Amino acid sequence: MPDTNLSDQIWAIRAFIYRFFVDHERPPTTDEAATRFGISGDAAREAYRRLAAAHQMFLEPGTDEIRMASPLSATPTPYRVFIGHHSYYANCAWDSLGIPAMLGSDADIEAHDTFSGDLVRYAVEDGQLRADGGFVHFSLPVGDWYDDLIHT
Amino acid sequence: MSLFRSEEDVAKWCRRTGEARGEVLSLERVWRLALVWYARRMAEDYHGRSNHEVHLLFVDQGLASDFWRP
Repeated sequence: MPDTNLSDQIWAIRAFIYRFFVDHERPPTTDEAATRFGISGDAAREAYRRLAAAHQMFLEPGTDEIRMASPLSATPTPYRVFIGHHSYYANCAWDSLGIPAMLGSDADIEAHDTFSGDLVRYAVEDGQLRADGGFVHFSLPVGDWYDDLIHT
Repeated sequence: MSLFRSEEDVAKWCRRTGEARGEVLSLERVWRLALVWYARRMAEDYHGRSNHEVHLLFVDQGLASDFWRP
């Protein structure tokens, strides 16, 4: 069970990270979070680590850089989501639908079929999925998701 | 969570790669799951979910097997 007993400021930093990520199509650095909240870089780094430990986001291993703030990915993936004039990478097939779900937006999604590598397009319009079939394989049971988040 | 055109392709993929076969849901069902899982993710008062809340969410979506238990 992750530690979610975080300070109000750390939860506010979490909200800032998500808003920044949506607006800028990338997560904020710890320096950007420090500037926004008037705190030291060390305090921002500690906040990022606490949020990662609480499973609120996932850091690139060995760094203080955000790799995932689900459903958003900071690195390119086979799942690209277009919303208005923005485009985002999603962590996985589920997250490709999680981005329009989170934003309450229509979306056009480009993904690659895992088996063939073929480009697949689907969309969300007025809260409805527009897709020509498609299935999602959840390879790991929920209890194991945080053991290997990159490959989940 | 990877996208496939068919459940048969999932089986072929697992045989080819040795990846364990987990659970396969239609994209439509995953959309409904995404709606409840992510709808409040950006809310200022969203502080994550307890394992019990995750379990209840999946059960409410008809996903009640041990695979979906946190």
